[in-house]
Amino acid sequence: MVEADNIELRETTSMKIYLGLLDNSPPDQTRVFGEIDGKLIDLSLGHAAFLTETAEQENAYEFAAFYFPPTIVAFLERGEKSVKALEQVLSLVGQRGAENFRGPRGEKVVYNPNEIRILPPLEHPEKSIVIGFADRARVEAMPKTEIPTGFYKLPQTFVTSGAPIVWPKFSDEVDADACLAIVIGKAGRKIAPEQAWQHVAGATLVIDITARDVNRREGVTTNNLLGKNFPSSTSLGPAVLLAKSRKELESLEAALFLDGIMQKRFALCDAVFSVEQIIARWSILGIKPGDWLAIGASMALEGDRLQNPVPLKLGSAIRCYSQAIGELSHQVVSSEGMRR
Amino acid sequence: MKLATFTHDNRECIGVVDEAGRIVDLHRAYALYLREVEGTSQSEELAAVLLGRDMCDFLKRGAKSLEATREALEFIKAKPAAGQARIVLSRDQIRLKSPVPRPGALISAGKNFSDHVAEMSSRKGPVYPVAFLKLPGTVIGPDDDIPYPPETQKLDYEVELAVIIGKSCVNVTKEQALDYVAGYAAFNDISARDVIRKENEVGIHLMGKSFPGFAPMGPYLVTADEISDPQNLKLWLRVNGELRQDSNLSYMIFKVRDMIAYWSQMGLNPGDVLTTGTPRGVAAGRKDGQTPWWLKPGDVVEAEVEQVGRLCNRIVSE
Repeated sequence: MVEADNIELRETTSMKIYLGLLDNSPPDQTRVFGEIDGKLIDLSLGHAAFLTETAEQENAYEFAAFYFPPTIVAFLERGEKSVKALEQVLSLVGQRGAENFRGPRGEKVVYNPNEIRILPPLEHPEKSIVIGFADRARVEAMPKTEIPTGFYKLPQTFVTSGAPIVWPKFSDEVDADACLAIVIGKAGRKIAPEQAWQHVAGATLVIDITARDVNRREGVTTNNLLGKNFPSSTSLGPAVLLAKSRKELESLEAALFLDGIMQKRFALCDAVFSVEQIIARWSILGIKPGDWLAIGASMALEGDRLQNPVPLKLGSAIRCYSQAIGELSHQVVSSEGMRR
Repeated sequence: MKLATFTHDNRECIGVVDEAGRIVDLHRAYALYLREVEGTSQSEELAAVLLGRDMCDFLKRGAKSLEATREALEFIKAKPAAGQARIVLSRDQIRLKSPVPRPGALISAGKNFSDHVAEMSSRKGPVYPVAFLKLPGTVIGPDDDIPYPPETQKLDYEVELAVIIGKSCVNVTKEQALDYVAGYAAFNDISARDVIRKENEVGIHLMGKSFPGFAPMGPYLVTADEISDPQNLKLWLRVNGELRQDSNLSYMIFKVRDMIAYWSQMGLNPGDVLTTGTPRGVAAGRKDGQTPWWLKPGDVVEAEVEQVGRLCNRIVSE
């Protein structure tokens, strides 16, 4: 078991990738960026530079565009070869120094984070599921349950760091839960727990925003619909961490800050369900690259009880932080005060 | 008009049904119209821009894409048979998919017919509209097979009307609600009742409604202008020819306009689908001593809504 605990997910080092738009790009021309020393690297052009330099590849741009397609989902679908290519680009930039790194024909490749419009990293997953229970009181009285039930977060509710969280008109009681989401890298169905990690690409952060009064009213029959799915009710990102090992992922921590004060903190391994259990359960339906399965602080124990989500107010500043992944930072605004 | 999504030559296409029940490939028909009538040289590229890539994209274009569809249909109708080759396709040349194969959101009403509420032993009807999300990836076409998941022993059916949203809306009134409907399709909300029951013991159900193929929809998107009153349509369901459900949408507790007004609070977009709930007659409503009605591999389920169309799906072993 000790060996299995240290299972290497890949030979590379851990890397963070982002989905973004250049300031002058139309919305459908997204690009995938890698991070090194606080700079964002345009991976397609960066890889073209790598191929030109190391292999004198004729059609370097085409190869690079194949390994670094416009979305992270498509990138994950390419599998380990793309991840290997990512490592090659980042190590070349590391050797060369970000300042002077350019594309094969002198194109700009290296950006400061504020030059890129960062988007939710996974745009239209088939499965974007948060593990959760309907009736907290019942579960808190229970020891560990066997089935990690969950609810679906509609992709149309996704935002990422910097976007306002808009208080829904229909609610008087809104709260936030910090979640760590396992990002799927390899498709599969009915995956046995011991095979689960082979399907994991990495992790990202999620803030699950809930209109608690509506959620309570919806109860069991209306499966967390309106109370969990309104515009900006799901913050996702900012990066996908492609982790090196299972151990690194299991020890991932996320903390939720409200107006600068830490409210909640948990590690993935503190959750009442393991990654193996969650993947085994939800892969019954089939999972694909870019799908994510999240578990929140409210599914982690604080003493012998599950943690509670954090109540929000208009004007609240909320921040979900993980040293390894980054941070999601938002202000809660009314629908009238929505800036766009 | 009746709009379709179908596969032909391994491509996913959108189409419109002609008077003879054949399917007109919309992109090809409109590209030909643009070339021959308007003298457009990059007609295929322009047709793709004007019509969109798929049905959701088409619906986002609103009245403009519908107008283009009418033009294309009139134009191709006037052509001799030779000019229609590879554009006007018979049903056996194509395979229908769900008219909206990838809805943004798939919101299915529960407890929305009082006779069904009674058979499911619920205490009383709901105060607010009840609904749940099915994973949009569960949607299949009108003739596709439904895989029987080995995880269930209680596979059930529910005939419903699918309402396809055509325009983005937030907080619309009941009075305006139907203006946001692109059209209608028949729907069968398949459930694994035992999986749902287990999920509900600890949490909320999602899996029990979302196995692959649990959302047959179609056969076409019948545009809203063809349905004068969506609350006065018969709907019924047969298993192996035997009538199981037989009712009328007039018995809905929350009407289509109520549902749109309520769920528009979360924001609805073109290609989102609301389904209206089912009347009595589901397998879960059978009492002790009655012959069980659970679906089995080999069963053929026909779900039909008057004026809207019929689904015919076979249950197959996985």
